[in-house]
Order: sequence, then structure tokens, then C-alpha cells
Amino acid sequence: MNDPLYSQYYYFMRDLFTGNFGIDPLTGQTILSEIRFYLPNTLELVLFSFVILVIVGVALGYFAGMHFSTLGDSIARIIYLVSWSTPMYLAAIVAILVFANYIPVFPSGGMYSLSISPPQPVTGIFLIDALLGLNMPAFLSGLQHLILPAAALAFVNFGLISRAVRSSILNVRWSTHVKTARAKGLSEDEVRRKHILRNALIDATSLSAVIFGWVLTSTLVVEELFAWPGLGQFAYQAIFSSDYPVLIPIVVVFTLGVIVANFVADVAYSLLDPRIGIGGHNGAVT
Amino acid sequence: MILESESVVTTAQSLKFRQLVLSNRLSTFGLVIVIISVSLAAAFTIFGERITPYSPYALNLQESNLPPSFAHFFGTDFQGRDIFSRVIAALPIDLGLPIAIVLLSSVVGIFLGMAAGYLGGIVDEIIMRITDLFLAFPTIIMVLAVAATLGAGLVNAMLAFVFVWWPPYVRLVRGGVLEVVAEDFISISKALNSSFTHIILKGILPNILPAVLTYATLDIGTALLEVSILGFLGIGIPPNTPELGIMVGSISYGLYTYPWQALFPAFVTMLLVVGFSFLGEGAREASDVKVRPYILFEGRVFGKAPEILKQELAKQRTPQQQASN
Repeated sequence: MNDPLYSQYYYFMRDLFTGNFGIDPLTGQTILSEIRFYLPNTLELVLFSFVILVIVGVALGYFAGMHFSTLGDSIARIIYLVSWSTPMYLAAIVAILVFANYIPVFPSGGMYSLSISPPQPVTGIFLIDALLGLNMPAFLSGLQHLILPAAALAFVNFGLISRAVRSSILNVRWSTHVKTARAKGLSEDEVRRKHILRNALIDATSLSAVIFGWVLTSTLVVEELFAWPGLGQFAYQAIFSSDYPVLIPIVVVFTLGVIVANFVADVAYSLLDPRIGIGGHNGAVT
Repeated sequence: MILESESVVTTAQSLKFRQLVLSNRLSTFGLVIVIISVSLAAAFTIFGERITPYSPYALNLQESNLPPSFAHFFGTDFQGRDIFSRVIAALPIDLGLPIAIVLLSSVVGIFLGMAAGYLGGIVDEIIMRITDLFLAFPTIIMVLAVAATLGAGLVNAMLAFVFVWWPPYVRLVRGGVLEVVAEDFISISKALNSSFTHIILKGILPNILPAVLTYATLDIGTALLEVSILGFLGIGIPPNTPELGIMVGSISYGLYTYPWQALFPAFVTMLLVVGFSFLGEGAREASDVKVRPYILFEGRVFGKAPEILKQELAKQRTPQQQASN
């Protein structure tokens, strides 16, 4: 602390890259071990809901685009605009009230019921560990606890994907290369799958990295409401107790998550779109 | 379903922007919500507690946790304050804060984006790398961190938002400027020895403003969501402020017993955001040159084609086209 600012910054960066985040002043544990505990839970929730939202979002956008200017299109548009305008907490609260309170089909919070024995941690992700340990009760219980928060997360975030898919389908539907594809005698199914949907997915891919970041940060609200022991809740507590030594590593981890998602999206982008190459060899346009 | 006829397309292009937006009933609905809520907010700012049925601030512990009724439309909260009155009192904050955020961000964005796009070179490089850096941060986490550091207060919350909110505007403006600068009329203007400020203010600015305005309309909704999430988490915005997110957040423990205390403010939040989204979406669609000719199909359910276009369509309808439809 007596060192000049640039030395302090050097120590900070050194510790950042070696993963030495120091000790949580509230719990006395190292922050790295706490993040190691919370991160897999958040990943489980985020990845699961991300898969749901991509499937639902693309399907709805595709439907709206292919039924442009019909009743179905209008309804699909209302659905995704409303989805997009719903505050995260409203979705979570309604989910809890309806599916955990009035119609108690899902539990309202937590990761698994206390009555089951949790599986041996291998990867840290609860569901995968349960599957690896062939622990069916734990797997089912974990899944049951996962569905409600994941659905709430997915509902709030799928709107943008639908909108992007719809508008890129509108751009591509009447384009000349689709006409050519029909003219050369491809079946309607093939035209739709290879020429329309694939083009629409290219736009959705670059967008999905942004959405992933949103889902990641939405965990702040969802994990708090669903008592999900993840990074979002950890961050919330850190902010609430002004625990800055903990907050900085969490912001770093979240930012890393967004950067990794962007990187994955860029790679997927180049796989989907042959016009874009990774290296710039073979005359590919970079 | 393809608009082959040139004249229909030209008619659609020649329609006024306002007509295009309002031809979509969803956008009109959005506009109505926006107008009502903004005027309510303005009325509350001017007249204060005189326009609310009860005082939004005064405690009345004898009437705490009442369910919704004709006396209290949205019920009362745990301190006996009328939730309906508090929602109205929250409007100036929940609309004012996002509008201020978006306005300031777009000013920053226009300034930096024009500098990057028009000056180019090293200035462009520096501005865009900084913008990319800021884009990498997850918005709400960064806002929370900044707001928690600055301390509670509406101005601080606004600053925290603007701190992370401007990068998309820079990219938007820069892209627009690059397109406009390549146009002939700018080179002609330069050849005529127009001053720098003249080119910027008369040549470039009017051409990028519509895109910024459209994006900003949509963005106010997003900003409103994030502001209310900040309130919900109880950070940045001072506690006990009538703010929709705070009203929802203050209930988390009595949720099963008094659900209306959280649901009504949350639904109002949604309604406000829906208003801005519908309006912004309609404006975006109407300003999209590619989609524009198609948005005025007769067949659309939630919108009516303006009369002039209907006549044009009827004129163009040949038997062959009817068969293909």
C-alpha cells in the first residue's frame, strides 16, 4: 500500500494473471476457491437457459419471417417484443408465484432438494456430476430445480434473437440466390434449410455472444430470487456489503465470460459462413 | 408475395415517416403509452402530490399491506403507502433517468463517432479501440460496480449508466458517417470550399440523426429496464425513493403473502418498456429501406395500409399476380 500507484497496478495485474485474488474479508476463504465453487453453478444455469433461448428464439423468428405479414407473424412479433420488454424480476417473480406457489410443480429455489445425497464433484457442474456418478435421483432433482430459473432467464432474453432471425429472413427470402436455388430444382425443404435458415443463422450467431453476456449478467437478479448459489448471487452480496476485493475478480470473471463467448461466436461465424475465413489464406476474405 | 411493381414501391417510399410508423397499430399503441406516461410524469413533476389519490410518501401503518380495492387500486405496501400513488410518483424518475442516460450517451456518441468517422486515421483508431474496450464489459455489472463506488444518488446512478452506455452510439454514428462521407454531395461541398463546421452540421449530422433517434427510442426501454434492475438490487438509487424497481425489490420476503406489492410496479415497468419498444420497433422498420416497401402489405393484421397505397395496389393487381398470390 505504500508503493506508488504503478507498482500497485503491477502487483494487481500479476495477481490477476496468476489467479491470486486474495482473501475474502467476510468469509476468510480465498476468493479463488469461492469463485471455483460458484462459477460451475452459474455456468450450469446459463448454458442450459442459453440452449433453450436459442432454440425458442430461432424457431419463433423463423416462423415469423416465413409467415411475414400474417396473423402468425404479428403474434410472434408481439411475443418477442413483450419478452424483450419484460423486466428480469417480473419473469422470475411470476414464475415463482405461478409454478412454485399456485401450481406447485417446481421448487421455488435452491439447486437440489436436501433429501438427496449430492454427487461427487468431478467437473463441479451439478447435473454432469450426477450423470457421471449415475446418481439418478440427484440428476432429476437438479433438473427440476434448474427448469424454472432457466426458463425465466430464457424468456427475458430470447426476443432479440427472434428479431434478428426474422429480419435476416426477410432480407434473404426474396433475394436472387434463393430464387436461383428454387430455379435449379431444389426441393422447398432444401431451399429453406440450406439457403434461408442458414443465412439467417449467421446473423443470429454474432448476436448470440451479446445475448450470452446478457444472460450471464441477468443471473444477478435470477440467482438472488431463486436462491441459486452462483456467481450472480455472490456478486450481489459483494456489492451489497461493499466488498470490493471480491467484486473486482467477479467483474473480471464476467468480462472473461463475455470475451470467450465473443470468441466462440466468431469461430462459429466463420464455420457457418464460407465467405469469412479465419486465417486469410486461400483467398478467403477476412 | 413479392412487390414487383415499381410504382407501389415508390408510393411506399414517398409516404411520410410518420404515416409509415402510425400505419402499424402496434407502434400507435406504443406511442399512446409513451404519451400517457410522459404526460403523467410531467403532471406529477409540476403539481406534485395534488394529482395522486394519496400521498406517495406519508406512512400510514394502520392501512399497511391492504389488497387492491377501489380505494387503493394497487393496494398498499408494508408501510401503508398507496402503491398506485407511488407508481405515479415513480414515473418522473423511471422515465427521466433513462431519457437523460440515452440523451447524454447519444451526445457522447455523436461527438466521438463523428470525430472517428470524419477525421479517420489515428483518431479513429484510438476512439474505436477504447469503444471496443468498453463494449467488452457486461453492462449491468459495470453499472453496479460504478454506482456502488460513487454512492447512492440519482445523479450518480445516471453517471454510472452513461459511463457504460455510450459505446454502441459511437459505433452507430461512425458507421453512418463513413457511409455519408463517401457520398458525392460531401465531396462537392468540399470542392465548393465549405467550412468544416458547415459540412459537419449541414452535411453529415442531418443524415445520421434519424438512425440515432430510432436506436435511441428503442434504447430508452432498455435503459428503463436496467435502471429498474439497479433499483431492484437496491444499489445506486437511494432507498425509499419511489422507483419501480425498488418497490418490487422491497417485497422479496413477503412475496407469497402480498404478491400485488411486487406485481403491479413490475407490470407497470413492463408496460412502459413495451411502449418504447413498440414505438421504436415501428420507427426502425419504417426507416429500413429494405423492408419498407414490404411493410405496407394489405394483408398485415396489426396495421392498415394508408388509402393512397391501397389504391395503388388495387391498380396494380393483374390477374397473373392474383394467381401467384
